[in-house]
Amino acid sequence: MIFAFDIVILIFLVVAALIALNVKDLLSASMIFGIYGFLICLLWAEMGAVDVAFTEAAVGAGISAVLFITTVYNTRRRSSD
Amino acid sequence: MITKVLATLAVVITGALLLYGTADFPAFGDPHSPASAGVEGGAPSISQYYITESYGDTKVPNLVTSVLADYRGYDTMFETVVIFAAGMAIFAILRVFRDEDDLEPNPTHTQGDRFIDGDHSRIIVGTTVRLVVPVIQLFALYVVAHGHHSPGGGFQGGVILGASFIIIALATDLGNALSRFSEKSYFTLAAVGILIYAGFGVLCQVLGSDFLDYGVLQKIFLTDGPEMARSHSMLGVEVGVAFTVTGIMFAIYANLSSRGTLKSGL
Amino acid sequence: MIFTILSVILILAGLIFFLGAAVGVVRFPDFYTRMHAAGKGDTLSSLLVLLGFSVYQLRDFQSFSESWIILLVILKLIAISTFFLITSPTSTHALMDAGWEDKVKPEIAKGRSNHLEEDAPKR
Repeated sequence: MIFAFDIVILIFLVVAALIALNVKDLLSASMIFGIYGFLICLLWAEMGAVDVAFTEAAVGAGISAVLFITTVYNTRRRSSD
Repeated sequence: MITKVLATLAVVITGALLLYGTADFPAFGDPHSPASAGVEGGAPSISQYYITESYGDTKVPNLVTSVLADYRGYDTMFETVVIFAAGMAIFAILRVFRDEDDLEPNPTHTQGDRFIDGDHSRIIVGTTVRLVVPVIQLFALYVVAHGHHSPGGGFQGGVILGASFIIIALATDLGNALSRFSEKSYFTLAAVGILIYAGFGVLCQVLGSDFLDYGVLQKIFLTDGPEMARSHSMLGVEVGVAFTVTGIMFAIYANLSSRGTLKSGL
Repeated sequence: MIFTILSVILILAGLIFFLGAAVGVVRFPDFYTRMHAAGKGDTLSSLLVLLGFSVYQLRDFQSFSESWIILLVILKLIAISTFFLITSPTSTHALMDAGWEDKVKPEIAKGRSNHLEEDAPKR
């Protein structure tokens, strides 16, 4: 566990979460949510929890982004707020 | 506007409280924290027991797998049931059994059959998918079978195996993927997975022990002691979990992408 | 020692190409040139970094019977490289194709005609 690396990933995580909340285009939001999942997977792998990181890489960065994009594709693309 | 300000205020206060709460936490990886070393004068730590004894108990090097599938096997079984219930909920909410004419068509859908081999405008993506999908499926099976020795197990392998079918659906058409992995197949696979997991538990009861106490299965696996029987049973249980997760992941994708008609999708 | 130096050189070269790809994505004028920078730079730099990793694994290689496990790690890295070499250009192509189907306009210098639009089949 390297402290500086940890802090950099955490800052990226917060930035990704804020952008995913604020962006109006829901397709962009789901892509950025995939980036968020990948960053949290990186954080877990770096902390030594490899099993959890593997699950997050498969579910958070892979499947859930696809499911969000399919849902956006079948509904409206713009967020109203 | 006022709701946004209030929501931001609530989030900031909650975050500040959470940060304040982490100030009392032990340091990361501290061997003297109560979770690692136990309470002084009280009960010994359970994580200490897992770290020192789990290899002797189960002969499984990856202690995450041994905790997940053996010591906390009851928990994992109901996690699998939760995933199955999610698939059932998707089926109940989204699936429609009507003719295609009744539904208003989604204007963004492109119609027509796109198969991996036939369509020239998709030849690069189709060829790559045909090359890559067997490798992905082999890797998924490796993750399931090698979960004892390396990171991985039923959940991860099942998700990767489901994702390989989703890739086929994305690169060509939902109908093409459904012709390889039909609705009947994936729901049967999901149910069979739970049946395998619960069957291991009931088998232990039949042989005269507690539910999911795998050590007694040495009479069936014909191993030397209960340790290797636990190891083999964990593999069987992980295969059950992988079945359920594979089926439900593809079920969720197929119902979401085609608005429950399973006719034409993304 | 020689393997360590070689791997550092390879990984640094990969990182330089990554920087080039990132600068290209930010600085290039339109969608297609940006994807060009991202696809090419990403693929080559990832391959270079993975090659650097596999060279670094060779640093304490004694003999085949003693350190075959190192060769196993290198084999896995090569498998990942092959996977990357196949999938990364394909994903770039798929994104480009989606952009072209969505009629994203390329940026064209004044006085030049858009050959892509002329040659494209009528949809």
